[in-house]
Amino acid sequence: MAQQREELKELDQSYGAIVKRQFKKNRPAVWSLRILYFVLFIGLTADFIANDKPIYCKIDGKTYFPIFKEYLVNLGLAKQAPEIMKITDWKTVEFDSVIRPLIPYSPATTDYYNAQYVSPFEKQSVQSSKFKHRLGTDDIGRDVLSGMIHGSRIAMLVGVLAMSIASIIGIFLGAIAGYFGDNRLKTSRIRIWLNLLFLPFAFFIAFMARNNLMMDAFGESLISGSLQFIWSFVLFGLIMLIPNLLAIPLKLVPFFGKKINIPLDIIVNRLIEVLRSIPGLLLILAVVAVFDASIILVMIVIGLLGWTGIARFIRAELLRVRSLEYMEAAEALGFSTSRIILRHAIPNSLTPVLISIAFGIAAAILTESTLSFLGIGVPPDTITWGKLLAKGRVAPEAWWLAIFPGFAIFITVTIFNLLGDGLADAIDPRLKQ
Amino acid sequence: MLKYVLKRILIFIPTLIVVSLMIFGLSKVAPGDPVELRMSGGLQTGDTGQASDKQQGEKVYFEIAREMGLDLPSFYADFTSRAYPDTMYKVGRRYEKEMLGRLCSKFGNWPQISTYYKSLKVFELSSYNIPKTEQTFDQLLNARATTNELYREHNEDVILVKLNNIKNSVSQTQTYDEVVINENGESDTTAVTKNLLQPLIANIDGVINNFTAVQQNAKPINKFIPKITWHGLKNQYHRWLFGDIPWFGKSDDPTLASYGFLRGDFGYSLRDGRPVWSVLKEGLAITVSMNLIAIFLIYAIAIPLGVYIAVKRDSLFDRVSTVTLFILYSLPTFWIATMLLVFFTNSEYGMDFFPSFGLGLDKITPETSFFSKLRTLSYHAFLPILCMTYSGLAFLSRQMRGGVINVFSQDYIRTARAKGLAESKIIWKHTFRNSLIPIITIFASLLPGMIGGSLIIEYIFSIPGMGNIAFGALLGRNWPVLFTVVMLSSILTLLGILVSDILYSVVDPRITFTKKA
Repeated sequence: MAQQREELKELDQSYGAIVKRQFKKNRPAVWSLRILYFVLFIGLTADFIANDKPIYCKIDGKTYFPIFKEYLVNLGLAKQAPEIMKITDWKTVEFDSVIRPLIPYSPATTDYYNAQYVSPFEKQSVQSSKFKHRLGTDDIGRDVLSGMIHGSRIAMLVGVLAMSIASIIGIFLGAIAGYFGDNRLKTSRIRIWLNLLFLPFAFFIAFMARNNLMMDAFGESLISGSLQFIWSFVLFGLIMLIPNLLAIPLKLVPFFGKKINIPLDIIVNRLIEVLRSIPGLLLILAVVAVFDASIILVMIVIGLLGWTGIARFIRAELLRVRSLEYMEAAEALGFSTSRIILRHAIPNSLTPVLISIAFGIAAAILTESTLSFLGIGVPPDTITWGKLLAKGRVAPEAWWLAIFPGFAIFITVTIFNLLGDGLADAIDPRLKQ
Repeated sequence: MLKYVLKRILIFIPTLIVVSLMIFGLSKVAPGDPVELRMSGGLQTGDTGQASDKQQGEKVYFEIAREMGLDLPSFYADFTSRAYPDTMYKVGRRYEKEMLGRLCSKFGNWPQISTYYKSLKVFELSSYNIPKTEQTFDQLLNARATTNELYREHNEDVILVKLNNIKNSVSQTQTYDEVVINENGESDTTAVTKNLLQPLIANIDGVINNFTAVQQNAKPINKFIPKITWHGLKNQYHRWLFGDIPWFGKSDDPTLASYGFLRGDFGYSLRDGRPVWSVLKEGLAITVSMNLIAIFLIYAIAIPLGVYIAVKRDSLFDRVSTVTLFILYSLPTFWIATMLLVFFTNSEYGMDFFPSFGLGLDKITPETSFFSKLRTLSYHAFLPILCMTYSGLAFLSRQMRGGVINVFSQDYIRTARAKGLAESKIIWKHTFRNSLIPIITIFASLLPGMIGGSLIIEYIFSIPGMGNIAFGALLGRNWPVLFTVVMLSSILTLLGILVSDILYSVVDPRITFTKKA
């Protein structure tokens, strides 16, 4: 009886709950999720796990929290105490009392006594076992384990942010292609004309005429530059309002008001086709290599080229959802198109997109580590898994540099692939049989 | 079918145009001056030398720029503000263009800016007319160095400071011993205080006046008025694609030198001036043949393996191999390649089985017998090809297994079994062909990956293939080589997709590309 009730309860549940239940049956995927949480945790708390500064210390009767303070300093909210600023080598400072992070090395800290590739098993010249380099060092004595811990942050950041960009583009384009198809977006002739006319003009005023201003602002600081950039976007939007407002009265003229069909599906599909036949890695390499190294650029480029999979998924979903009854109901209630798409169509087709996003994150992480392995796109002072692995290639005697960072990349990429597989199985269990 | 193929090839065109625009646009926004890259090691336009040297240096610069077509406008049309002159492309150096562009968008009065720029050039040139002696050396050096800085400076305050700095520098007098012949016809040395740089003062005053004119006559409204300039077919992009030598008939104009990409003229490498094609030729042969071997191996092993695993479904072998294949598929190629390189190519770990780099092409002479040639090559190429193969192999086997299992559950297989057909016949005749369909689509997605992937593998194993050449070109911003590699690999990718689509219909007659009426 109780079992029956349980079953009924299960039947009652929503689509999301069914997917979740199916997902939980997939052991590799569940384990991947656990490992993912672990890696995310390490990435988020990397500063507290591996840092040459202590978490807490007491010098001459005064207490300090140098790592916390560092965050405030980076945000421009505080200044590091002058006596702390003076310290260059935290290892040798005499503390009254101290709590050090688990690994007392920052990824960029050079340990001159253990330079030239010291193996994890070799005898290391360290003051105590606390300071042992557990995964060895590189040529200038940087701790490999610390580099790997901080590398996880970069990997996760690139994977998640690149895919966020890709998702925004992919979901938008896929949704409009799927919802409107080839013959559901009709608009008046005058609106198209005016929009086409105003588009270059708005672009010109918002971006080209303000180019000088933006470049100066970016030269000043990243924040003021970004602010100017956002202003440009706002300006662009405001100017583009003009043609659409103008079109409202003008379309009453019969000639201007003639409805024209916009084949959005064809346009988006062609775009996807073009992007997919471009040798992606080569193009990403080209874009990233010719500009100054920056992680943000790497993320943006990967994101801009990586949205096709997501767009295809959401397009297919919306094609299906479009003909369902609740969509008709929403239309009958007189909801606006944007509301139907944003509030009704997209939320109900997002689950399958998760598959594509999971695989996409794996691919983005792989691309980023490939780039940093090749030594491009990542600033010299940033340590990534790919960079550590690249050192292993140059120094064959340092086997630990070849094995550990590569293994980290492998694990991260694999868990995302397994998650993608698990989601695919959970969403469409037929595929598994 | 033919119609379909033609239609597909038509779709190639916009794709290739997009790729070419992307890479061309990239070369335009990327920092660095291709002419200077080409010139490096050649004539330097430094601070020393005579006016004639300086002019000669400029002449060589423009000569090379013209040879490379860089004296042309970039594109068919320009979309700029009215503050920009139509003829900006005629300004030689890139940093000067940028400086003038920034000034234009700030002050919006090109005539005055142009006067300022020209007077600065005149000043620099006239500074070479002053004989460089012990007395004048420091002042001249300072003036020229500051002038060179001014060519990159767009901040008005800094410009004025620098101009005044030059003025101060050239206004200083020098005290030196001059040999004077007195009335008695004897030579006599007297200490003279005089400014040998006197002629320059008028020049620099002119420059300062011109710059204040720029500031006073600013027309900032100009930068809010858009302007489209049509440059016609004589532009860099058109020249790169179509060349400037006419397609039909002959031209006697010796200044035209390019046949264009579409006629197989890929230009000259910026690094050593060799034709791009001769740089790429061998690399392309190496990359394509290695990829073909890898693809052949992938298909030759994966298809029977996949079928075998599917037949042994749910056995221990199936489970073990499924997990193994999944792991293989997830292993990053560059990690495996690095590991193989570290552990199997040097004596550190006592497993020095393979050479660590290259293909051993230097060991091959025309006299080498075929057999030993094969041995050298396969000895060198074993690890790289292994790296190129394993991941695709794992992926394909998994797909093949899935495909076969899928077909096994179809009704017609049950019918065949019920008829009492031999199992081998069911597998190879009924199942195999139908499960090939997904495998063939994968061919299309394998290809772009392989082109990118071979870049990494060639880099790791130092194989002189196309990927490695492309990587070198990227780092050195060797645009002609890079253009060609990107375009060729796009074309290869498109062809691969087309071939797989055609194969698709060959394997499955139900799929036709002609629309049914």
